[in-house]
Amino acid sequence: MNAIEVKNLRKEFKAYSSRSGLKGAFRDLFTRNYKVVPAVNNISFSVSQGEMVGYIGENGAGKSTTIKMLTGILTPTSGDIRVNGMNPHKEREKFVRTIGVVFGQRSQLWWDIAVQESFRLLKKVYKVTDEQYDDHMQHVIKTLDIEPLLDKPVRKLSLGQRMRCELAAALIHNPPLLFLDEPTIGLDVLVKLKIREFLKEINQKYNTTILLTTHDLSDIEALCERVIMLDEGKVIYDGALHHLKENLADGKELHFQFLEQVDLPAVKKLTSGMPVKWDLDEKEQVFIANLENDDLLISQVIAIVVAAFKIKDIKINETSTEEIIRNIYEKGAVEVG
Amino acid sequence: MFYLTMFFQYISQYAKTRLQYRADLFVEFLSDLMSQAINLVFILVVFGHTKLLGGWSRDEIIFIYGFFLVPYAVFSAFFNIWNFNERYIVKGELDRILTRPIHSLFQIILEQIELESLLGAVTGITVMVYAGSRLGLEVTWYDPFLFFIFVIGGALVYGGIFVMLACISFWADARTSIMPMMYNISNYGRYPVNIYNKLIRFVLTWILPFAFVGVYPASFFLGKTEWYWYAFLTPLIGVVFFSLSIVLWNHGIKKYRGAGN
Repeated sequence: MNAIEVKNLRKEFKAYSSRSGLKGAFRDLFTRNYKVVPAVNNISFSVSQGEMVGYIGENGAGKSTTIKMLTGILTPTSGDIRVNGMNPHKEREKFVRTIGVVFGQRSQLWWDIAVQESFRLLKKVYKVTDEQYDDHMQHVIKTLDIEPLLDKPVRKLSLGQRMRCELAAALIHNPPLLFLDEPTIGLDVLVKLKIREFLKEINQKYNTTILLTTHDLSDIEALCERVIMLDEGKVIYDGALHHLKENLADGKELHFQFLEQVDLPAVKKLTSGMPVKWDLDEKEQVFIANLENDDLLISQVIAIVVAAFKIKDIKINETSTEEIIRNIYEKGAVEVG
Repeated sequence: MFYLTMFFQYISQYAKTRLQYRADLFVEFLSDLMSQAINLVFILVVFGHTKLLGGWSRDEIIFIYGFFLVPYAVFSAFFNIWNFNERYIVKGELDRILTRPIHSLFQIILEQIELESLLGAVTGITVMVYAGSRLGLEVTWYDPFLFFIFVIGGALVYGGIFVMLACISFWADARTSIMPMMYNISNYGRYPVNIYNKLIRFVLTWILPFAFVGVYPASFFLGKTEWYWYAFLTPLIGVVFFSLSIVLWNHGIKKYRGAGN
């Protein structure tokens, strides 16, 4: 059975627009202009148990709306959702026992009370027995290193501390499915790494399915085999991350820095007749050769340049995922896939 | 059973939060006590000028007012959802509520509980005892039970209407507050309904049945046989209105749009 099964899911919002000026305001009193905007536009996908999926897209692409429908917060306008074999909105109270949710921008914990009190209350809410709690949570608390934070009220924690506690709170009932909406937003590198390590670990240990939205692509690269990419409410790519990289990486960049004074026409002349495009970063005095991802061609170019001038530094750069994704958004669709 | 456990869990959590701020708790308790005392003096002064109103004597009116304060106190303690629109809809805290396996209204009520308001019941009972002794009312063995049932019924009437008004937030996305309106209407229930014209009386009995929070049940204890019928309807009206409000809530929650982030 798939953990998540979504067919033709659609969510529309009415967007009201107000007329300008005082006269317009009066007219708005009686008839309001609105148009129906599909935030999520007939998307379909499925996620099987134990998968870690990155759900990415620009702001307003419909990521949060999808997650809110998958967690039973919003009712879909049309389409089918089955998550853990249930309809999230219809059987909400039974359903939410089987999921864990972390919203990076919103706290799940009680603001005024100590973290452990929040945990204790949640433990009762999810009807977790003492044995289950001790067995599972001791490990979670240790891995996330939140032992010293437990007796502090949530409002006194730093963002990184709070996020780790939020994550632990979402796992109190050890759910088979975890939704993370921008869990690493605003966190420093160390906390990010810790959270990634932890997610990997619970995925392996309990075969927990994880659906993750983030703007930080390094999170996705570190965790997810598969990405679902959304644009204007539609799925524009659904597949393996490395596949996306292989097919869409336009080529490689060779960065050269020379010991002697060299100008652009001189290097251009060296590789004339080869499919190489040269650029010069004037500030850093770095010469950049853009070329196709062809091993033979790359070594040829390097060989020629090295033979001609004295080299200070060479770098071979692959097009970064961020760049790939930026390209996709600019084009608006993925042709390969 | 689960809901009862959760009820006590939340109450104990609430108590802990309160006890954490000792100074705050103390000051608040003192100010609550003060405001109740002022309230008491106010009632006596205001009603000191009335002699007879629509066939009700001064002490009877004071008694009704005293009775009204008790369900009102229970209501204020458990339905402290004045900021529902702002906190849960506009700020989107309903998201969090909806990811927990307890009925959403129940969670919100529990989160917003304010037990200090129960102090108002003490004032109410004091006023009733004062007016009752001047009227020479007798207390029978079953009176406390009926009193309890009427108070719960009255609080449910109040809570039901309040929740229904809060539900408007699910449909209207404006940041308007209907709550001041609620407060204004609710005041009518404190006075004998037969002083109003027929239309208002009808509204206060069947549409927005605030009369069941004060006049009707209180008139039972005052021995006004012509109102007995209405007095005994109190728990029923309470249950009906509260159930209706839950139905409306369950429907409204589907319209929740969430706050953007």
